[in-house]
Amino acid sequence: MRVIDIAQLTLGAITSHRLRSVLTVLGIAVGVAAVVLLTALGEGVRQFVMGEFTQFGTNIIAVTPGKTSTFGVSGATISSVRHLTTDDAVALLRVNSVQAVVPVVQGNARVEFGKKHRRTTIIGVGADMPAVWQMDIAAGSFLPNDPFESSRSFAVLGSRMRSELFGSKNPLGARIQIGGDRFRVVGVMESKGQMLGFDLDDTVFVPTGKATELFNREGVMEIDVIYREDESADSVARALHRVLLARHGQEDFTIKTQEKMLSVLDSVLQLLTLGVAAIGGISLIVGAVGITTIMTIAVAERTSEIGLFRAIGAPRAQIGILFLVESALLGACGGLVGTGGAIALVQALKWFAPAFPVAFAWTYVLGALVMASAIGLVAGLVPALKAAKMNPVDALRAE
Amino acid sequence: MRYRDVLSLSLGALASNWQRTGLIALATTIGVSSVLLLTALGEGANRYVLGQFESLGTNLLIVLPGRSETVGGPPPLLGETPRDLTVDDAYALVAHSSITRVAPVIVGTAPVSIAAGLEREVTILGTTKELLGIQRLELEKGVFLPAGDPRRAASVCVLGFELAAELFAGNVAVGKWVRVGNRRFRVVGTLANSGVTVGVDFNDIAIIPVASAAALFNRESLFRILVEAASENDLAQGESAIHRLIAARHEGEDDVTVIAQDAVVATLDRVLTTLTIGVGTIAAISLAVAGVLIMNVMLVSVTQRRAEIGLMKALGARLSDIRRLFLVEALLLALIGAIAGLAVGIAGSSAVATIYPEFPIAIPRWSFVVAVTVAMICGIVFGVLPARRAAALDPIDALSKH
Repeated sequence: MRVIDIAQLTLGAITSHRLRSVLTVLGIAVGVAAVVLLTALGEGVRQFVMGEFTQFGTNIIAVTPGKTSTFGVSGATISSVRHLTTDDAVALLRVNSVQAVVPVVQGNARVEFGKKHRRTTIIGVGADMPAVWQMDIAAGSFLPNDPFESSRSFAVLGSRMRSELFGSKNPLGARIQIGGDRFRVVGVMESKGQMLGFDLDDTVFVPTGKATELFNREGVMEIDVIYREDESADSVARALHRVLLARHGQEDFTIKTQEKMLSVLDSVLQLLTLGVAAIGGISLIVGAVGITTIMTIAVAERTSEIGLFRAIGAPRAQIGILFLVESALLGACGGLVGTGGAIALVQALKWFAPAFPVAFAWTYVLGALVMASAIGLVAGLVPALKAAKMNPVDALRAE
Repeated sequence: MRYRDVLSLSLGALASNWQRTGLIALATTIGVSSVLLLTALGEGANRYVLGQFESLGTNLLIVLPGRSETVGGPPPLLGETPRDLTVDDAYALVAHSSITRVAPVIVGTAPVSIAAGLEREVTILGTTKELLGIQRLELEKGVFLPAGDPRRAASVCVLGFELAAELFAGNVAVGKWVRVGNRRFRVVGTLANSGVTVGVDFNDIAIIPVASAAALFNRESLFRILVEAASENDLAQGESAIHRLIAARHEGEDDVTVIAQDAVVATLDRVLTTLTIGVGTIAAISLAVAGVLIMNVMLVSVTQRRAEIGLMKALGARLSDIRRLFLVEALLLALIGAIAGLAVGIAGSSAVATIYPEFPIAIPRWSFVVAVTVAMICGIVFGVLPARRAAALDPIDALSKH
């Protein structure tokens, strides 16, 4: 039988039972659309979260006190008998290909200006913070490059803090009190917005040395290091490790590269997307059962046709192929309709709710299409075999 | 037509096409059982997390130094403030009638070593004897921190299960001396294995008196105060009392954040329940697909049984009779699938329960109701069109065409 004949025959069979074919295709289409939509959501969330994390740049390495390999806050961040100090930060700056270091201390204190006051987050940082955290200055300048142990009492306000304390007045040069200590405002940061619920705008930045005095601490909580982008994260991390080990004599610190953090996070989020795709895939399996059912019915209905084919000399394989092509075609149609519908829905969603994180996971879209055809093929296997096995004499007599 | 007749006719039709019936029932079975299993997993995760929190004590209020006025922001978790939250602050809270006991907590890390040279860097918890009751910790051997003045820096410690095992390798730890940082402590007790926990890992930990921790870390300020309220109804009162008492002691400045553990647990419960419902809904899409399948097969069935329908009509069957006949058949299909799905779902969930006995998997009651109801509704809704089509057949036409 020529290919064109097979195509004509199967198309004829599909179109002759229009409603039946449409419903079968619909079953597969719903499954495919579910997979495509859910993975689009998963991918959207993944891109959103990754975007949130990469806004600080990707060539960052964070050094924290205490030896731990898990996420989250280690007890050593709060207090430790082996501190990570601003001297360590200075030493790390001398490592080859390190561009800037920022020792960080964070706390909570009451900030006062005149009669206005607000309790908020205080972050002790170095002069290189805007470069390392990729933040911009809206007015004035950032903290000057003083030595960590003798920095002047300057403060830089987050944008929200500025509007809360100063309203429309000019904050530059004003004296504010933070937890009883006096600071002079030298700059205001550009708004950075929320980062995973953490508001960097409702923050006051002060020199690290001043923050350790304010909170009566001995060590810093974290040292952020940025390195030249053409350098590999691992080699820089190894160099930092060597320097700190030489200074401390033992491994009482943890070095986390942003690259590794991001890749762990990325694989977790991809696993989640795979999970929702699998749950959506249940519908696809039910759709496959639908194809099997309809093909079983079709084989039963067309017994005499099969008998005739066999009687005029069509080999068994050809009968099988005929039904297989039909079921694969049903599956592929379902895939196309489902993908089309899902893409239309996602576009509509983007139109009506642009803030909602959706993005096509194209590998999954393609995968769903291929899966749909493959499912059609597999689902048609048993009925097709049954058709191929028919004895022509019995088949012709059946009617 | 009597209901018995309708039922026996439908059942006969289903049985005569047993292969087809089996396939459709399988589709519904997949849908119902996946809804049940996925919601059971979600419910299990929820129960697991809630159980973990409950084992850490109830009616618990957690006091953190520092307070942010950022709306909706996270609490100041790192707890660095210009004014220290002190042990005296903690014990001043007991004065209020709604508060039964408090445990001040200082946290940090330090290396713990024994004379043989083994060393391990672990979390050090500085606290008082009240922690044992408040966090419902269990001792394996020995006693917990001694009672007495919390300002006294006694040189005793309690080791977590894993830490004791690592340092003493099966030998008795109680009575031995360990070095924490640059100080020596005598082990007075070891904790029982707490398993996997949310939050603090009590297995790899050393607990020392709060005053000793303050000296060790050279730090007066507490990291947290754990406060146990007298009852659930006292939580709100306790919370406002804490703010009032601390403000009175801190020159009028209310600089602490109070978190009720119940509120955290309630939020978690909400989030996890929402997730479970979401996962169940996604799985329920497959029930809609099964419904489409039922409709498809019923339509085929109507076409194939034209002669039968024509005959029944010719014999005087009413439109409603024919409709009912086909609707009941669709409904029966859905019902068979739903019952099989229930069986598979329950079997699967108990299989998981047997393999992982520590995971509290359980099919939520609403899930049974929803899965079966949705399956039945799908059967009815998708059965209507074929039934109407059957009823609309012209008897003469239907009979003559055959």
